[in-house]
Amino acid sequence: MLRHSLRRLLGLIPTLLMLITVAFFMMRVAPGGPFDSEKSLPPEIEANLNAKYHLDDPLLKQYFHYLGQVAVLDFGPSFQYKDWTVNELIAQGFPVSMTVGVLAMSLAFIVGTLLGIAAALRQNTRIDYSLMGVAMLGISIPNFVIAPILILVLAVYAGWLPAGGWDGGFASMVLPVLTLALPATAYIARLTRGSMIEVLHSNFIRTARAKGLPESVVIRRHALRPVLLPVISFMGPAMAGMISGSVVIERIFSIPGLGSYFVQGALNRDYTLVMGVVILYGVLIILLNFVVDLIYAWLNPKIRYDETS
Amino acid sequence: MRCRPVLFAFLFSQGLWAATLHRGLGPEPDSLDIHQAQGLSAINLLREIREGLTSYDAAGNIVPGVAASWQVLDKGKTYRFELRDNARWSNGDAVTAHDFIRGWHRALSPATLARTASLLTPVVNAGEVMVGKVKATAIGIQALSVSTLEIKLTMATPWFPEILAHPVSFPLHADAIEQPNQAPVNGAFVVDKMTMHALIRLRKNPHFHAAGSVALDGIDYLPIEDPHAELSRYRAGELDMTETIPAGRHDWLQTYLGDELRISPYIGSFWLGLNLGREPFADNNNLRRALSLAIDRSVIARLVVGAGELPAWSIVPPGIDGYSAREFAGSELDSEARLLTAKELYLKAGYSEDKPLRTELRYNTSSQHRKIALAVSSMWRQVLGVQTQLLNEEWKVFVNSRRQGVVTQVFRGGWIADYADPASFLDLFRSDNELNTTFYKDKTFDLLMDQAAAMDGAARLAQLQRAEVHLMQDMPVIPLYFYVSRHLLKPTVSGYQPNIRDIHLSRYMGVKSTKP
Repeated sequence: MLRHSLRRLLGLIPTLLMLITVAFFMMRVAPGGPFDSEKSLPPEIEANLNAKYHLDDPLLKQYFHYLGQVAVLDFGPSFQYKDWTVNELIAQGFPVSMTVGVLAMSLAFIVGTLLGIAAALRQNTRIDYSLMGVAMLGISIPNFVIAPILILVLAVYAGWLPAGGWDGGFASMVLPVLTLALPATAYIARLTRGSMIEVLHSNFIRTARAKGLPESVVIRRHALRPVLLPVISFMGPAMAGMISGSVVIERIFSIPGLGSYFVQGALNRDYTLVMGVVILYGVLIILLNFVVDLIYAWLNPKIRYDETS
Repeated sequence: MRCRPVLFAFLFSQGLWAATLHRGLGPEPDSLDIHQAQGLSAINLLREIREGLTSYDAAGNIVPGVAASWQVLDKGKTYRFELRDNARWSNGDAVTAHDFIRGWHRALSPATLARTASLLTPVVNAGEVMVGKVKATAIGIQALSVSTLEIKLTMATPWFPEILAHPVSFPLHADAIEQPNQAPVNGAFVVDKMTMHALIRLRKNPHFHAAGSVALDGIDYLPIEDPHAELSRYRAGELDMTETIPAGRHDWLQTYLGDELRISPYIGSFWLGLNLGREPFADNNNLRRALSLAIDRSVIARLVVGAGELPAWSIVPPGIDGYSAREFAGSELDSEARLLTAKELYLKAGYSEDKPLRTELRYNTSSQHRKIALAVSSMWRQVLGVQTQLLNEEWKVFVNSRRQGVVTQVFRGGWIADYADPASFLDLFRSDNELNTTFYKDKTFDLLMDQAAAMDGAARLAQLQRAEVHLMQDMPVIPLYFYVSRHLLKPTVSGYQPNIRDIHLSRYMGVKSTKP
């Protein structure tokens, strides 16, 4: 197990290298540069700027220079936010995005699995249909529609919660977490329901029931683990997406997270910022997939990561 | 009863009774370094915490700032400033003439990479210092004494006092060379707390020379990128004043928030540029005028952009002191005559229904610009039969296309002035201006502008007006509308005065009661 983990973690390096290479050259191929603006700069100043950011070096040299920086975890200065380095921007934004993402994912997991199990146990009843109907709505209504409605009702009309902003307090988290959790909750509920129905029809459950175990024990002890398998594999990548920040949620609720840096950075040709966020996102995806695999092994006795597998 | 003063003191210390204004700021400021800041939100914020030789009054007029008074000598080429004896930095140090010289040396030094330093180019040697040709000490700024500053210009620049209210010309404290953002400031407020993308909290600066007249104890500036989010927060009572309003919500806001919606003219113009460097618009004045006359500006201003913008037939927006709007070619015609003339000119230009003009209209990606482009192209099609292809480009790509002028034909253009002077707009069309993306080159126009530059006062403005009339006859651009400034303002806020520069320093504002 330990060897497997180590091997997986070492596998991170070539994957990341690929990611950095592709992202780096894609950014540079895009037309327009970080200093292009309506009022063009005097050529001397532009030359100095290029020299400061090493943009006047040959592309390959820039690439290796950047790799050298990344190796010591220095993502360089931001082009757009001139008072900050990319490391500082990530250090400020990531905790916020992570708080919102982890809370939303936990909420989605708890509520989603409970709803899914409830629907599966009452398959093809009114409860099942209404729960799955609501879940379908949750998936299909985009969050840029839900969010303004929640703001209008709960913040503008009722005045119970702030309409946006971030002070780290509970009140300012409620609406963004709720909005971010909704589609994931719905998706998890549907996954859980389908998975539960399938598991309940499998042989080992029939055996458990035949032994005379009460239904609640059958569900908790025997069905729950295999039921969660598809949910866990969904949650890995979804979690990476959620904790690295959602552009839509951040814009609508004016939250100082990481998501907007992706889009703004790309539009402003803020090379260093985009690269920093891409690398962070890559690391998160790889790590979370790894965690998913570990949980998988724990949940499913059929999977074991040893030398022979 | 006895506990009352204690309670008051407690409430006050908790900030419950302190007068705090909650203002929207727009996007996150790009820098608080006076020589790096470029974005409007950063510039506005710097004007709250710092002050130059000149400043703005509540109505946006240029008034003395750190300078108590100044003399203009040598036919407008020398300015001599007498600094206030009570001008102080936020740590209590006096603001001296040397602080300005320190700031200017840093602004113009090639190593600083100041993006807005070109505003200082009217000053003797500023341009040469900027590109490293001569040393910073050669700049035409000199301290005659601790409190007297003399600035020499290469030529008379009537808007120069306004440049001195721009952050790039502000003084720097001696500590600022090492730590530009940590050093003392000299404005009405100081930064108390800053959380990126969330809050910039300012509190009153007790050392400010006019601190006695500042009603607010502090300002909470909220950087909010999305105007819809800003509106929600205003409606939820979290903001007293917004930076803007969302596009397309003007009528709704007018109906439901009536008096709180403040719209007023702004020094900005929106136009469509025509590339005169290539076919089909080079040497075809009739075609350019036909395209202009075929557009119904009132429909564009009222229905397409629809936030109180004013239809435009010229470049310089109304409201600049001493410069009155004149009748320009086309504006006097009623709609029937206008369309008839457009058709005639179109035929004269060598096009017809059988041989229609095919052209490309290029704009930078934005739903508003797309709507305008759609409206214009359909007007051209209905009136003249022109076939227009719409092309959108990302901003960074668009500015390059426009500057190079290789692929552009018709393109979205416009200008928001750095200083409220007609020359800020008209200079754009000089043959040698690098921002002249229409590639309009006309000796008469250049001559008129040169003549205006050598004049002053009313004669200068009259000459600029002649230049504008001439420009509009040549029509390198098709003006569509003049911008407006848009804010939502709670009735509890006092001291707001609409103005053409849309500069509203919080030091003149007050707020009646604030939420805890």
